[in-house]
Amino acid sequence: MNVFKTVSKLAALTIILLFLSILGYAIFGDRVIIKTSPLTGKEAPDFTLTLYSSGGSLAESGENVSLSELKGKTVILNFWASWCKPCRQEAPALERSWKKYKDKDVVFIGVNVWDDDSSALSYLDKYGGSYEHGFDPEKEIQVNYGLGGIPETYFIDSSGLITGKFTGQLTEEIIDYYLLRAISSKNSS
Amino acid sequence: MISPSLIYGFGKPVILVLFFIFLPHSSLSITQSPSPLGGRDIVRSQQNGIDDQVKQISHQLMCPVCQGQSVAESNSNLANDMRDIIKKQLREGKSEQEIISYFTDRYGESILGAPPVKGINWALWLLPIVAIALGGIGIGLFLRKSQQPTKKDVSLRSVENKDYLRKIDEELEKRED
Repeated sequence: MNVFKTVSKLAALTIILLFLSILGYAIFGDRVIIKTSPLTGKEAPDFTLTLYSSGGSLAESGENVSLSELKGKTVILNFWASWCKPCRQEAPALERSWKKYKDKDVVFIGVNVWDDDSSALSYLDKYGGSYEHGFDPEKEIQVNYGLGGIPETYFIDSSGLITGKFTGQLTEEIIDYYLLRAISSKNSS
Repeated sequence: MISPSLIYGFGKPVILVLFFIFLPHSSLSITQSPSPLGGRDIVRSQQNGIDDQVKQISHQLMCPVCQGQSVAESNSNLANDMRDIIKKQLREGKSEQEIISYFTDRYGESILGAPPVKGINWALWLLPIVAIALGGIGIGLFLRKSQQPTKKDVSLRSVENKDYLRKIDEELEKRED
């Protein structure tokens, strides 16, 4: 029957066109979706952390430190919890990188989330490293930064822009890659 | 009889006196009005209102660390934090749209339970309707077609009829003979 054939052809054509448009969009469409975080390239949300431990350069333990105080420095913000196994595994890489970059205007800050103080402090004794670690008493920093799990690390350039976000266990190479991007962003600005 | 001049003459002081006499009562009547909701009840109903709004908004957001659960349904730490932030922002007087934008700014549109009807997302909304419509038309046409005899059937039947008629003719001829 003619009508049946026409409708069948029309349906096949519609499906092919839809498939091609979705494929085209995936290839040539909005590139924003491949960004690791919608916050990349935007100003890092300010925060105030109460420090558990201090590397000595920012504030004493128990005191507060804010991102706004760190303007002019490249910042690595590493989210962790004592119960998180990959956090423990990446801790040595963070410590080595901190030693490498501490004299290059780079600040490492560990942010403890979804934890209790005693577990966090015993974790810091074992794996904490020498740089600053703290927590947000308001418990807002994790949502303000769009945290999707831990460990998760944000790289902030000296002008306060987020230049990268890495989800998962860090290695020294990954830290180097993201840090150099943040530092070169600082140089270009 | 009270003359108008008397009223005019005493008008202002009388009004003032009446004002001061009734002011405390009137203010009391506002604060102590026999409202069906007492003070605690009002606070509780406001709290319930905010809780309902939190639920409504958190149903529209997907929990980023869960499998197919909304922020309202999830018991994860992150979902708890997100609900707290929704509550805080509602108390600050932010609108539902402002709160949802806050989350999409941080997590992208993938955090929304339903994709917004714009851009390529139109396809997501229209595709099921188009598929159902085309499927319905296809099934309808198929059923209609299957109920009608095909040309082949008709031609076969006519052949069968011809044979049958021929046989009858032959039988009749034999009887006549």
